[in-house]
Amino acid sequence: MGRFRKLGVAVALAAITATTLTACGGNDEGGGDGSDAKVLKLWHYESANSAMGIAWDKAIETFKTEHPGVEVQFERKAFEQIQQNAGMIINSSEGPDIMEYNKGNATAGLLSSQGLLTDLTEETEKRGWDKKLSSSLQTTARYSDKGVMGEGNWYGVPNYGEYVMVYYNKDLFDKNGIAVPTSYDELTKAMDQFVAKGITPLAEAGAEYPAGQLFYQLALSKADRAFVDNYQLYKNPVDFAADPLKYGAETFADWVGKGYVAKDSASLKAEDMGVSFISGKAPMIVSGSWWYGRFKDEIKFNWDSFLFPGNKLNAGSSGNLWVVPTNSKAKSLAYDFIDITLRPEIQALIGNNGGVPVAADATQITDPKDKKLIENFNTISQQDGLAFYPDWPVPGYYDVLVSGFQSLINGSKKPAEVLDTIGKPYADGVKEITGK
Amino acid sequence: MAVTLDRRHRGASRWVVLALVTLGALVMLVPFAFMLLNAFKSPGDYSSAGPLSWPSEFYLKGLTTYWNEVNFPLKLWNSAVIAGSVAVLGVVVSLLNAYALGIGRVRGRLWIVGLFLLANMLPQEALIYPLYYVAKEVGLYNTRLVVIIIFTVIQSAFGTYLLASVMSTFPRSLLEAAALDGAGKWTVLWRVVFPNLRPTLAVLLVFFFIWTWNEFLIPLVMLIDNSTQTIPVALASLQGDRLMDAPTTNAGALISLVPAVLFFLIFQRTLSRGITAGAEK
Repeated sequence: MGRFRKLGVAVALAAITATTLTACGGNDEGGGDGSDAKVLKLWHYESANSAMGIAWDKAIETFKTEHPGVEVQFERKAFEQIQQNAGMIINSSEGPDIMEYNKGNATAGLLSSQGLLTDLTEETEKRGWDKKLSSSLQTTARYSDKGVMGEGNWYGVPNYGEYVMVYYNKDLFDKNGIAVPTSYDELTKAMDQFVAKGITPLAEAGAEYPAGQLFYQLALSKADRAFVDNYQLYKNPVDFAADPLKYGAETFADWVGKGYVAKDSASLKAEDMGVSFISGKAPMIVSGSWWYGRFKDEIKFNWDSFLFPGNKLNAGSSGNLWVVPTNSKAKSLAYDFIDITLRPEIQALIGNNGGVPVAADATQITDPKDKKLIENFNTISQQDGLAFYPDWPVPGYYDVLVSGFQSLINGSKKPAEVLDTIGKPYADGVKEITGK
Repeated sequence: MAVTLDRRHRGASRWVVLALVTLGALVMLVPFAFMLLNAFKSPGDYSSAGPLSWPSEFYLKGLTTYWNEVNFPLKLWNSAVIAGSVAVLGVVVSLLNAYALGIGRVRGRLWIVGLFLLANMLPQEALIYPLYYVAKEVGLYNTRLVVIIIFTVIQSAFGTYLLASVMSTFPRSLLEAAALDGAGKWTVLWRVVFPNLRPTLAVLLVFFFIWTWNEFLIPLVMLIDNSTQTIPVALASLQGDRLMDAPTTNAGALISLVPAVLFFLIFQRTLSRGITAGAEK
């Protein structure tokens, strides 16, 4: 019965507060720096045994010893829950004081433009976070007042990075007497040799992100930073019928035609691609560093990775961000926590567990394979080589790319037609965002 | 006697039907078999040998990881409280509504039933933002109570529709006889209508329970604290951004399925008892 009484009271209360609250219409009462807060409610969605999960557990421990008397209420969330409802959650008083959130215009950008995220610019400069992060990493941390990434205030702080590379099965290369390629020409030569032996050299997945990323990776081999700025940050219009996108689509079609990529991979999912590599069937895959930890755990043969040969620009970006909701009741504690996660020992922990830290000293990484992963990332990051992902620029573009490259893999469309079908939604989407 | 004659008549066709039903049942069981097979496999085994292979070892870590990581007993309690309350409340509300519409013959009942059905047919995605907004204003956001209220309404919309059409065919003579004996509306409902509808109500109860048990979107939006979440939401926490852990997901699905199956098996008995009890009258 108590339940119903509570409901009755709540309904009556709501009737009164609804009118008054909407009148002031702000979340200002949740503001203040909350330096006297005794609780830090912290959410993230990395699994406990992942590199980030391990490193952040340690960061929580450090935070506790440095803030005696503050209780950390940590909850591991479902990715999907945050992905779908972050706006609703942090717009209520039940949300966290600090949380992990997806980078990009449609996620962190959108929430920042709605005023739901705290502007971290001042803290960033005060605590020197901007000096620890390279400029292409900063792109995803800063958003304009329209929520477009690249410049403007800081609304999030990344802890880790990710990039696309080539993973290869050393044993399969050795067994077939094929040399591990170091240049683009050697790569195609090696793939020809595999095809001659009846092995499909590259596992792909047309039904999910991998195909779009391979196309982007190929296009990037002929691109410069200006192209990335145009494509991702709408600096200038992008011509889909010209290089580098034309080259990307044509080369992709060429690879399918030569048998580097199997035609029936059009319907495969990323998980299928990963599993065919882990089970030792596929000599190579082109995919991101998010596989790395799993490969390290599960693969029994000799494997390694190299950067996509010949590319200065690579698909990749900062990882997800730490954001502080506007309604956070413990903002200064949240800033302290972010600061801890960027310390060398926490960053090294990410690196030593198969993740890609953003501010790590490669000499602190013990495992040689992990070290290479991080050195490769640092190489890209230092030459300003993170080009983000092809599906980022406009909302809903992921599905457009998937269906476009599916028809390219199964041969139902020519490259020019595919470019045409993916070019239109891009132009429409950009028009909607920029108003031009 | 008539029954056995009937059976003999059909002869061969009976076997064909039996074979088809068996085949159908086997097809239905295939996904469960896969789930069972992969729930006891290590992630490495799954990745290297694929989903169809026999597990190389009896791997229980997936089950224990899931159990501990999501605090399964708490989620089980939440799910049971929500689904149980909704099942009971939904049936009570449906019965009262349907009594007014089916037997009371309210004017414009067709439109009212249609309106109720609309609540059921609307995609939940369309309802979610208004529901969120109201829940937040009322101060019930992130409580189990709000999910119970929402599902009681949604389920009883369907229940009202079903029961109202059942009751509109209720023998008028029975009602008139009761009225002659001096029974008021309330007495008629509990003494005449309710006992006759018991089997239907029991079926509704089971349906409401299982439907609510499996609901995902509204609990996902409304229950944001780990301490209030239900089992399907907990299961979703195993799916990452770009990676999935198929064996652990299978293990989680297996444990999550068990309570609903147990509930069904237990109620299956009372169900059939209820139906035979109804038939005797």
